Amino acid sequence: MAISIVVPQLGESVAEGTVSKWLKAVGDRVRKEEPLVEIQTDKINVEIPSPADGTLQSIVVPEGTTVLVGTEIGVLAGAGEAAAAPSAAAPATASAAAASAPARAAAAAPPAAPPSTYAPAATAAPPAAPPSRVAPAPAGNGDSTLGDGRNLSPAVRKIMREQNVSSAEIASIRGSGIAGRVTRDDLLDYLNRRGAAGPTGALAPGFASPLAPAIPTPAEPLPSFLRAAAAPAAGGPRTETVPFTKVRRLIAENMVKAKHTAAHTHCFDEADMSAIVALKKEWSPRLEAQGVKLTYMPFFIKAATLALKEYSWMNGMVSPQGDAMILKHYYNIGIAVGRDEKGLIVPNIKDCDRKNLAQIAAEVNDIAARARADRLKPDEIQDGTFSITNAGVYGATNSSPVINVPEVAIMGVHKIVERPVVKNGQIVIRPMMNASIGFDHRVVDGELAVKFLRRVCSLLEQPELLWFVA
Amino acid sequence: MATLNAVALGPTSYRDGLRLQEALVRARVEGRERGERADWLLFPDHPPVLTVGRSARDLKLRVPEAALAERGLEVFDVARGGDITWHGPGQLVGYPICDLDSLGHDLHRFLRELEQVMLDLAARWNIEARRVAGRTGIWAGGDKLASIGVAVRRWVTYHGFALNVCPDLSDFELIDPCGLEGVRMTSMERLLGPGAPALSAVRNAAAESLAGRLGYVELQWVLAAEAWRKAEETPWPGARGDASGIEASNGLESPAA
Repeated sequence: MAISIVVPQLGESVAEGTVSKWLKAVGDRVRKEEPLVEIQTDKINVEIPSPADGTLQSIVVPEGTTVLVGTEIGVLAGAGEAAAAPSAAAPATASAAAASAPARAAAAAPPAAPPSTYAPAATAAPPAAPPSRVAPAPAGNGDSTLGDGRNLSPAVRKIMREQNVSSAEIASIRGSGIAGRVTRDDLLDYLNRRGAAGPTGALAPGFASPLAPAIPTPAEPLPSFLRAAAAPAAGGPRTETVPFTKVRRLIAENMVKAKHTAAHTHCFDEADMSAIVALKKEWSPRLEAQGVKLTYMPFFIKAATLALKEYSWMNGMVSPQGDAMILKHYYNIGIAVGRDEKGLIVPNIKDCDRKNLAQIAAEVNDIAARARADRLKPDEIQDGTFSITNAGVYGATNSSPVINVPEVAIMGVHKIVERPVVKNGQIVIRPMMNASIGFDHRVVDGELAVKFLRRVCSLLEQPELLWFVA
Repeated sequence: MATLNAVALGPTSYRDGLRLQEALVRARVEGRERGERADWLLFPDHPPVLTVGRSARDLKLRVPEAALAERGLEVFDVARGGDITWHGPGQLVGYPICDLDSLGHDLHRFLRELEQVMLDLAARWNIEARRVAGRTGIWAGGDKLASIGVAVRRWVTYHGFALNVCPDLSDFELIDPCGLEGVRMTSMERLLGPGAPALSAVRNAAAESLAGRLGYVELQWVLAAEAWRKAEETPWPGARGDASGIEASNGLESPAA
């Protein structure tokens, strides 16, 4: 019956908060909505109300300690009927906290007890939901609770008002947030389905596109934001203003920041992918048998990691003051994951130099799936050292990617296309791929970037080299 | 986005100022559910007082505590962000009671906008002021001109900013302002001499700038009585009263539970 108390999302740029004051002591009884703890970020102090009636069972993070958003800071022993659902969420939030703890090893206190001791219901619980981006605490209000004890965030309630969604409908949605809460994304998903099924045409705030009917690719299912249902009815408005989502605003800011700070430069190369295509063909069934879908990305990650070890200046970041290069002696490789209208996100796979291809393949599967489902842990989008973006999955044969600052370079990989090339004086047909590198010319010279990219391409062309340089 | 009700409260004890903010935060939270859209910007004229925010781990005084009492300075322990600071006559203190539900739930953005308001005011009177990374507040010529410390409850803000227009800066000598050793405070008067604006002029400009920066459609000056009436129609919470989280105390003891 334990309920995790976590640091809620407090703003786009707010990654961490400091526990400034526990307003209750361990063992104190607390009512739902009663102020429980204060969290400070920068010069704002936020009072966090209790998510439920209960007793403060343990304080995991003491006053004065700074932890990441989403970290469990305390545990509430619930009372009454609402406790069953929250207990399912407890182990997940606890593991998220544990996972993010190493990132701040010095600052974060270890959890007071392993999750299982305060979440006895865990084994019987359905797959646990990770911490939601929707804050459990400050959102709470009198009317924000469903009959079944689930809270609704202000964002959800706003959409409910705008789209005339009843509480009964919300109650029917299976929430993916903490304690089964219905998140904004859950609701938008629901509205998309409702819009598609029902004749009302009631829409989630999607990206209506007059182009939708003209795209002649019926074979591939259109992304939801391009479906005809989203097009304005005849005689309807010809333009529509769609406010940026939080993610979109964040992407916009990061992209502009990247373009304003890094001295973006690009160069290009190409690789004969025959060997990799053959390797993938041979190994796909074997990995498939173990439940791992093998794509080309693990090969790109492995080749890039090895090349980064040789050209270590490409692996790191520019110091926040902009006056030093910080070299990283670990290889956390980011992969750009497109998510339709949810917006791009770049989670990274940790310590790729210490993992084999199969391990990396499994992690790519996992992290990409969770990125699409908004289930990334905070540390998975932090502390990347280099990034790779594959515009080839959408068909691009070349691209000039934007650096994932503060990293100093990003590699673009693309569609593998069979085309005629000259080998030893003969025209032959080979599966070729263009590769690009976007680099920050403040710290990476063209010579280095070109050599690095050539090295990646040669490792892809002759994967047996991996044996000798690994 | 809606109306910003600006209020010049006139002489207000720090305790009354807290009480009014607390009540308006409650009213704002409850009003949100009824679709009310008006936020508040309170400008109190406080007698000299020291307040200690949640960043303070110990009391950063440069004099013995007894010396404070001699000067008639009360110390309040408050739930805002930041460390120790001074408020008093000649300082423009502003308390925005804003619903962050309508402002994107982004605390840092709110802080940055408050800073921008301070920068707007400095620029309007030709003071070269700037932010310093990692030190929320506004600095001019190496000294601190304005301080910011905010509290949030149910996504409604309170506490706010303090801009030194023409205060007696000597009380700041009693403390390490903001917990930062060696920080010297400055004022518009010190920077501009006889050209310094009157407090009321800066107050008007502050309300205009904040309304603009935070995207309010309308700025409306209302009487102090209006704010108090709004506060009084919101019943006091039962058990914890107006003491929840922020309690005035003669020393720095925590409020009795």
